[in-house]
Amino acid sequence: MTALMTQAGDADEADPTAPPEVPRRTGGTGTRLLRFALANLTRRPERFVLSTLGIALAIMVVVVVRTISIGFAGSGTASLADVLDGAPLWVASAQGVHYDSRLSAMLPGGPAPPLAAPPGWTAQQTIAGAWATGRGRLALYGRRGVPARQAEVGAAAARVLGVSGGQRIHVGGQALTVEINGTSRIVTVAPAVARRQVGGAGWWTVRPPGRLAGQLNLGQVLSAATGIPSSTDPAVTAGPHGLIYDTVGGGGSLTFQQRFSALFSGKVTGSVLGLVSTVGLILGFVIAVTSFLASVQERRREFGIMASIGLADEILYFFLVESAVIFVAAYALGALAAGAAVLVLAPGVASAGAWLQAAALAAAYLPAMAILGALVPVHRLLQQRPVALLAGAS
Amino acid sequence: MIGYGVRYGLLSTRRRRKALLLPGLTTATGAFLVVLVFSLAPAVRQQAAAFGHADQVFRATLLITILVLLTGVVEVAVCTTRAISQRTREIGVLTATGVARPSVAAALLIEPMAAAAAGAVAGSVLAVAAEVALAAAGSLSASPAPEATGLAVALAIGVSMVSAALASILPSWRAASRPPIHSLSHGG
Repeated sequence: MTALMTQAGDADEADPTAPPEVPRRTGGTGTRLLRFALANLTRRPERFVLSTLGIALAIMVVVVVRTISIGFAGSGTASLADVLDGAPLWVASAQGVHYDSRLSAMLPGGPAPPLAAPPGWTAQQTIAGAWATGRGRLALYGRRGVPARQAEVGAAAARVLGVSGGQRIHVGGQALTVEINGTSRIVTVAPAVARRQVGGAGWWTVRPPGRLAGQLNLGQVLSAATGIPSSTDPAVTAGPHGLIYDTVGGGGSLTFQQRFSALFSGKVTGSVLGLVSTVGLILGFVIAVTSFLASVQERRREFGIMASIGLADEILYFFLVESAVIFVAAYALGALAAGAAVLVLAPGVASAGAWLQAAALAAAYLPAMAILGALVPVHRLLQQRPVALLAGAS
Repeated sequence: MIGYGVRYGLLSTRRRRKALLLPGLTTATGAFLVVLVFSLAPAVRQQAAAFGHADQVFRATLLITILVLLTGVVEVAVCTTRAISQRTREIGVLTATGVARPSVAAALLIEPMAAAAAGAVAGSVLAVAAEVALAAAGSLSASPAPEATGLAVALAIGVSMVSAALASILPSWRAASRPPIHSLSHGG
């Protein structure tokens, strides 16, 4: 009896007719979807690698161009800070002002317009021009407040001149003691010295009286008092009477500095560089869509079975997760490769900060591209009946 | 024996020419940009100078132009993987009847290389036509030197064909190496 019971117990434990026990997997729906997506992607490793590579190349192109664009915009913003020196108003000559990319500095087109500052307002004239030294061109600014026998030299300008703090340079026929100040390619001296070296071109920077500080209509107030038109838009160019740039006024969502920076980055994105990167991005998207279309075509039977048991929306989720995996992998690869490329090819233009900003900007495209890349092929698939999918798959 | 594979590849390429339109178009787009940017290098360099560090920005422009061409060529390789998947049974028949692996791989490689070559030539021709049109309209400060254009065309076609072959060789070889029974039973 005992022997019989033991046999029966053994038979229960190893019943050959019992269905095999499916091991239970842990993890939520997201984890399961991710596992399913990875399993599908590794089923066709070549296509996964190729589509990731294609999208990564497109992202790399975009990040390189955006890094250069942000780096250039940063130079523009820095040059604006050099001009304003903390003042909220900038009065440009009738001939306007322009950015000299080789000097990384703003230069005037002509002499500053006549300006009689209202009582209580402080107007400071800056003489500015390009100074051809024996070792290279530099921007020379003349500002009140700099001692007559001193030259404030930016670090980049000091490298060009081959001088360090305490040494002497000659500007406008006068020997000046060097004091290193900032990182720019600008040499700042007393106005009379600068005038002798580069002429009388320049601009005004104006500060309001303390009681008006913080007001957002300073440009209009100064314009009413002087007759010089004012603008809060850096894209506006000066007229025959010059122009007051109000760098703190205006009610828009962007500050004057941000719009000034956008003008610079717009020049890059509107150039050949920007055009090429846009084409690259479009090609990357085409690769994503065609890759998913091929995948849909090959898996019609699989999706037919899924659709016939009521899994319609889930097919979309499968593709969305696959698309997300490909785009995230491509983004990581593309952004890192772009950083390396910029570091090697254009270290002077771009910084690590510019690359990070560019990479973050490119990340903003990703969700839209990943969703569209998955939606377009799946939309076509979901239009068909399960029986049509199963019939057409053989 | 590889010669037969190449001839078979050319025949199947002609049969499947409609499927090669998109990869040809993406390669043509990249080649168009490469020829235009490289042959108009002085003007591009002048534009780069406006952003400071002219040489560095110019080098970056050349790099991203080549990258766009490579992106276009990757589409050719993606198309190859799709073609291999669609032709699994055909590949099985070839290998089952004793066609050697290199010949099958050569037959499969002809298609991407033909698509890349045709796309690169079309893109180059369009770019040269665009240069001539721009020069005639007076939009170019100086016409590009014929040597520069010739080099740019050679670069576009060379890079397209070599990269298409490199990107497609692995899937083609793997498909040719698959056991015939596997290809015949799994072929779609």
